[in-house]
Amino acid sequence: MASNFSGALRLTDLDDFITPSQECIKPVQVERLPGRSGPIKVQSDGSYVQIGIDGEATQLKKAQITLNDCLACSGCITSAESVLITQQSQEELLRVLEANNKLPEGHEEKKLVVVSVSPQSRASLAARYHLSIQETARRLTGFLKELGVHHVFDETFARDFSLLQSQKEFVDRFRRREEKGTVPMLASACPGWVCYAEKTHGSYILPYISTTKSPQQVMGSLIKDYYSKQSGIRPHHVYHATIMPCFDKKLEASREDFYNDVYSTRDVDCVITSGEVEVMLDKEGLSLADMQPQDLDPMFPVSRDGQLVNHIGGGSGGYLEHIFRYAAQELYGVSVEHIEYKTLKNKDFREATLEVDGEIKLKFALAYGFRNIQNLVQKVKRGRSPYHFVEVMACPSGCVNGGGQIRPQDGEQPKELLPRVEALYNSLNTRRPEDNPLLDQLVSDWLGGADTEKAHAMLETAYHAVEKMNNALTIKW
Amino acid sequence: MRGNLENVASLTGHLDRVWHVSWNPDGKLLTSCGGDKTIRVWGTHSKSNEGQGSDWTCKAVLQDGHSRTVRRISWSPCGSLLASASFDGTTCIWSQKNAEFECITTLEGHENEVKSVCWSPSGSLLATCSRDKSVWIWEVDHEDDDYQCVGVLSVHTQDVKNVCWHPHKEVLASCSYDNTIKIFQEEDDDWCCVCTLTGHEATVWGISFDKTGTRLASCSDDNTVKIWQDCNPDGQDGGSSRKTSWKCICTLSGYHTRTIYDIDWCKHSGLLATCSGDDTIHVFQENSVGSSYKPGFSLMACVTNAHSEDINSIRWNPNGDGFLASCGDDGFVKVWKYSQC
Repeated sequence: MASNFSGALRLTDLDDFITPSQECIKPVQVERLPGRSGPIKVQSDGSYVQIGIDGEATQLKKAQITLNDCLACSGCITSAESVLITQQSQEELLRVLEANNKLPEGHEEKKLVVVSVSPQSRASLAARYHLSIQETARRLTGFLKELGVHHVFDETFARDFSLLQSQKEFVDRFRRREEKGTVPMLASACPGWVCYAEKTHGSYILPYISTTKSPQQVMGSLIKDYYSKQSGIRPHHVYHATIMPCFDKKLEASREDFYNDVYSTRDVDCVITSGEVEVMLDKEGLSLADMQPQDLDPMFPVSRDGQLVNHIGGGSGGYLEHIFRYAAQELYGVSVEHIEYKTLKNKDFREATLEVDGEIKLKFALAYGFRNIQNLVQKVKRGRSPYHFVEVMACPSGCVNGGGQIRPQDGEQPKELLPRVEALYNSLNTRRPEDNPLLDQLVSDWLGGADTEKAHAMLETAYHAVEKMNNALTIKW
Repeated sequence: MRGNLENVASLTGHLDRVWHVSWNPDGKLLTSCGGDKTIRVWGTHSKSNEGQGSDWTCKAVLQDGHSRTVRRISWSPCGSLLASASFDGTTCIWSQKNAEFECITTLEGHENEVKSVCWSPSGSLLATCSRDKSVWIWEVDHEDDDYQCVGVLSVHTQDVKNVCWHPHKEVLASCSYDNTIKIFQEEDDDWCCVCTLTGHEATVWGISFDKTGTRLASCSDDNTVKIWQDCNPDGQDGGSSRKTSWKCICTLSGYHTRTIYDIDWCKHSGLLATCSGDDTIHVFQENSVGSSYKPGFSLMACVTNAHSEDINSIRWNPNGDGFLASCGDDGFVKVWKYSQC
C-alpha cells in the first residue's frame, strides 16, 4: 500500500502502516462512570463486559484513537491513514448521504448536506473526463445533487477571504519587522507543511507561519457560522464536505482548532479528494461527462454574471502574487504590472523581488516540495533567510499536483498530465479577491467590520508545537 | 586458502562499542567512531606505510560534536573534510587543518537516527540516510561551507542502513531493513529511484561497489553476500537512463554463520572483505575462470575470533597495500595485513 500523504508528512512518521492498536502509546481517555467498578470479564467472542453491583453485565466500549490524538502526539508511528479511512473518505460521505436520504423531511436528525469544491480538484476532474472547467463544475454539481447533496459551492469564494486576510497580515508583520518572529511570513494554506512544522520545528518556525486560515477552513467558518445562521439551521445539522486535491487536508479538517465545542461539530465534517470523486463515479459505472449539468448554488457567487473565475498566481492559490501586489502598493505606492520570477536551485524554488529606486524593498519566494522546505527551514532557524514572504507548499509543483489528484490514465505519463491540469486550472478569467460580489456585505453582516473580534475568530487560527516524546517503545536500532 | 590475514595492531581507546572505521584518502590516517560519541583519529609516526605494523597512536579525539552514538564517518575525496553521522539525528562536517579538527557545520533535517553518510567521488555531493526511512542528498558549496538539500528520497519502507556512491558516477546506492537495495540518479533536476534490487531475505547491512562501478556487493542479516551486475551500465538499451537494470549474478552462502554487518570491495586487488556477528573476518577473491555474468568466488582467508564480539565494520586501506581495518562491539579497532601465501 502506497502512502497518499505528502512527502513532508511521510517523513514525520504520520503514516506508518501499523494499526494504532499495535504500537500506539497514546493514553486514551476512558470515561468513568460514577460508583464502584465491578469486575471485568472477557466473553468467548473476545469482547469485554463489566459486571455491575446488581450482577448485570454491560458491554464495555473499545477505546478509540481519533485522528486528532495522532496529530497531537509525537509518540509514534500512527496509522493516521487507517484512522482516516474510518473518519474521512468517500465511503463515509456515501454512508452519511444514504442515511440522510432515508430520513423523512422535517426529521430532527435530517441534515443539510453541503459540498465545497476546490478549483484544483475541478481542474483534475476536467483533465480526467476531458471537459472544460465550467462543464466540470456543472456536471459535478449534477452528480453530487443526485446523490442527495443539497448545495454545491465554489471554494474560490472562501479563498478571496484567505487572500485578503493574508495581504493584511503581511503588511502588518512587515511594518513590525524589527520584532522577532514577524518576517519571513510563511504561507499557511498547506496542511502538510503546517503539520510538519508543528511536529518537527516547533517554536523556531511556528511564529513565522501566517495565522490566516486556509480557504478550506474559511469555507468551514462560512458554512457553519454564516450560512447556517442565514438558513436558520444549527451548525451540527449542516454536514459540510469538501473536495480537495490533497489528503493532508483531511488532517487539517480534523484539527481541534476547527471543532465547535458548543455544537459538537467540525467546520468541515469530511474531506474527499479528487481521486475519491473518481472512485465514487467508477463505483456507479459513471463518467462525469454523462451527468446532467446543474448550476452551482448562487448563495456564494464568485462573479456577478455567474461565471466561474480564478485567482492569478498559479495552482497553489496565488498567495505570493496577491501579497506582493498588495504590499508593493500599500507600502511603496508601486503598482505592479507583472511579477518576474527567478528560478533558483530548481523549478520549485523561485523568487520575486520589488526594487524601488534601485533598492530591493521586497523579496518573496515560492518553495514547493520537501527539499526546498528543508533548506528554507534551516535558513529561517539560523536567521539567514533573505525573504519577507514565502509561499510554502509540501508538494512539488504545488497544489495542482497534490497527492489527492487523479492519477494518469491509459499510459499517460505524470509529466504529460500535469501541464494539462495546469492549463485547465489557468483557463478561467482571473479577478482580484477585492472584486468578490458579496465581499462588503459579508464583512459587515457576518464579521461586523474588518478588524473585529469576530473577523479574527472566523479568519485566523493558531499553531501548536508538538512536544518530542522519548518513549522506550519508540527507540529502535 | 591461499591468503593470510595477520593482525598487526589492536588499538584501544574507545570506551564503548566501535561502529565504524574509515581510512583517509591517502591511507595514512585511520578514523573510528562509536557508542562513546567520539571519533578517534589514528596514525603512525613513520612516513611510509611500512611502519604501520608497530607504532599506531591516537592523534586526535573529536568530541562535543554529537550527543549520541556516532554511527558512521566518511572522508571527503580531497581529504580535508570528515563527515560523521550520529544517532542524535545530525550529521557533522569536520574540517582538518594540520592536525586539528573543527566541527564547521551541523546538518539537521533527519527525523531521528542518522545511520550513514557518504561523500560522492567528486566531493560535491553528500548522501545521508536514517531510521526515518529517507535518503537525503546534499549539495556542497565548499567556498561558503554551505550545504543545500537537493533531494529527499522516501522510497524505502524501513530504516535505511547504509548509503554508498558509485566510484566515478553520480549514482547512489542505499540498503535497508526492508531487505532491498535501491539505486538513485538525478533526472530532470530531481533525484529519483531508478532501480530496486530484491533478493536478500533479511536486512541488507552493507554495500560496496567494485572499482568499475558495474558491480555491487551486498551483505545481509540472511548470512549471505550477493554480487549484483549492472546489465546496462551505459544507459543504452533505448537510451533512457531509467533503463538501469541490476541483476544478482552470485550468492556466497555457507561462510558466515551470523549476520554479515559490513563488506568492502578493494579497488586495487578486487578482494572482498566481510565481517560478521560470528566474530570472523572473511576475504574472498573472484576465480579467474568463468564468465563475467556467472562469476565464482573463493575464500582466500578467514580469521575466527578476530574480535571477541560482533564485528561492525571493515575497510581496505585505499593505498592498495593490503592493510585492512576492522572494529567491533569489543571496543577494539584492529589493523590487519593481507598477504598471498
